[in-house]
Formats: sequence, C-alpha cells, structure tokens
Amino acid sequence: MSQTKVLLVDDEVEFVSALAERLQLRNYEVKTANSALEALGLIHGFLPDVVILDLRIPGMDGIETLRTIKKLDPTIEVIMLTGHGDMKSVEEGLQGGAFEYIMKPVDIGEITAKIDKAQKKRNKG
Amino acid sequence: MENKQEQALRLLQLRFIGKILAGFTHEIKNHMAIVKESAGLMGDMIKLGKTVGDDSSQYLEIIRSIEEQTEKSIVHFRYLNGFSHRMDTPLSSFNINDCLEELTALVHRFANQKRITLEKDFRKDLPSINSSPAILQFLVFNFLEDKMSRLDKNSSIIIKTEVINGSVAIRIIPEGNLLETETEITLCPHEMNDYAIKILTGTISTQGQETVITLPIAAA
Repeated sequence: MSQTKVLLVDDEVEFVSALAERLQLRNYEVKTANSALEALGLIHGFLPDVVILDLRIPGMDGIETLRTIKKLDPTIEVIMLTGHGDMKSVEEGLQGGAFEYIMKPVDIGEITAKIDKAQKKRNKG
Repeated sequence: MENKQEQALRLLQLRFIGKILAGFTHEIKNHMAIVKESAGLMGDMIKLGKTVGDDSSQYLEIIRSIEEQTEKSIVHFRYLNGFSHRMDTPLSSFNINDCLEELTALVHRFANQKRITLEKDFRKDLPSINSSPAILQFLVFNFLEDKMSRLDKNSSIIIKTEVINGSVAIRIIPEGNLLETETEITLCPHEMNDYAIKILTGTISTQGQETVITLPIAAA
C-alpha cells in the first residue's frame, strides 16, 4: 500500500518541521510549505492526497488558498488548522470544501486519524 | 453627555482589550504548539529506539527549540502583564516609549497577518509624562488599526516619538498605499478619539496620511 502524501502548510517553521517529522515516523510522505504561494507551487509536483492548512497564514487568506487548492484539484482533501475562537473561518472553510478541521495545538493521534479518514474518502471517491 | 461618552469609551476599551487578548492567546497558542510537537517528537524518537548514542545533536536542537519558544512566551507574558497594570490607576507618570513598545508587541500579530511591518523610531531620552497610559494605548491602537485596515499588504507603519515645543509627539506614519476612504473603517468613531485625547490633555493633528498625537510633558 502506498504512503499517504501530506502537504503541511503553516508559517510557524519549527512547528511544521516537528510535525512533519512525527508524521514521517508514522509512515506518511510529507512536504512542508510556509506560505500559501509556496503551497500552491507544490500542488502540481507533489500531488498531495491531503493538505493540512493553517487558516491564519500571512499573505493570501487561508480560505482563498483552500478554494484555489480545490480549484486546482477537487480530489485533494483539505484539513484546516485553526485556533480556538475561529469558528467563523472554520464554517466558511467547510462550506468552501474543506474535509475537516483541527484545533491547535494538535494531538498527533487526532491528526493521523483525520488524515486516514480523508484518504479513505479520497480512495472511495 | 459626558456620561454617555464615558460609557461609550469603556465599551470601546473593552473591545480593544478583547482584541489584545485574542492576539496574545493566538501567539501563545502557537508557541505551545511548537513546544508540544517538539516534546512529542523527542518522545517518538525515544519510543522508536532512535538512541542518542554518539549523535545527540538532533535532541539538543529540539531542546533548543523548546527553550526558545518558552523564552518567547515569557517575554510575551511580560508584555501582557505590563499592559494589564496600565489600568491600575487612572493617572500615572510613565515613559511613552515603554508604553508604545508594549502595545506594538501586542498588536504585532495583527500587523503580521497583513504583512505590515511596525517600525519603531523612538527618541531615547524621552521625558516621562503624567497621564493615562491605558487611554493612550487605546488611542494609538485606534489609529494603528485604522491605518492597518486601509494599507496595502507589504507596507509599513512607522511609530516615531520626539519632543516638540515642550511636548511629546507620537507620529504614526503609514508607508505604502493607503486607501482613501470617506467612510470610517475602524469601529472606533472620531468622537471617541477626540474624547480620549481630551482626557489625555493633548492634541491630535494630521499631516497628509500621518497622525500626530501631542502630549504635555509632566511638570518636574
């Protein structure tokens, strides 16, 4: 069975790199991006199954990034990373085609469960 | 009339404090997320049998990252603590640079979201003033918020302090394309800024896109 490809998008470099390593240790293929533009640039080459996207990335708005990803490839599942109290953006994201959301700081068990669920949905679709 | 203005000012101050707390908790949450992932990664490495052996550099790097995030959180907590104590007494003698340093640290997150840089150009030997630091932070925030909402991405705002004719001047200078608007974007009406500056016994003036707040220096 092939590895699930995960693209992690967050401007907190150290957070992304530690989380990426933890996912790699759990057998996921992971690439990281620290801005929306970098993430969009990786979509074609890396072809991720799941994108974990921080809604508060500087520059392009997180929701706008989500919509652009879904436009580029509607089969990519997007899991939003968000803070508490940001439920308005979460609702907007879910309406914009996001699969799920996770609150920061994340629980590794929760994040892998959601990635696997997203991959299962993608395989069915 | 005075009472209504006072009530409106308190409500807008509550909104301001809420915004500061939202930015602060967001910042701390990010530091905690890094600490949590770093500690989790060390745990994973130990569980998966990645022994330290001769190469402890990766572990040391993770520990360094945890220390750095903890230190950043401590600094931010200090700023919030200072900010909270600004409201202890209505009037006090204080240094404007310290007051603005604290405010810019706490609003940095909002500026960062729009890729706006807040640049400080503080005159070093600024005399203390006797006034309300809490009201001053509220007033400066209103102008910063208004300019941030109208500035293009990748712009900057210079916050400059200087002494002019026996008063301290705070200049808020936007650098970049500032959207001209007839309708006010900020939720804080002009009247409230006028009321706040009256409490501070200072003046507000504009020079082009720049806002200048002038406050009298405390008598020795």
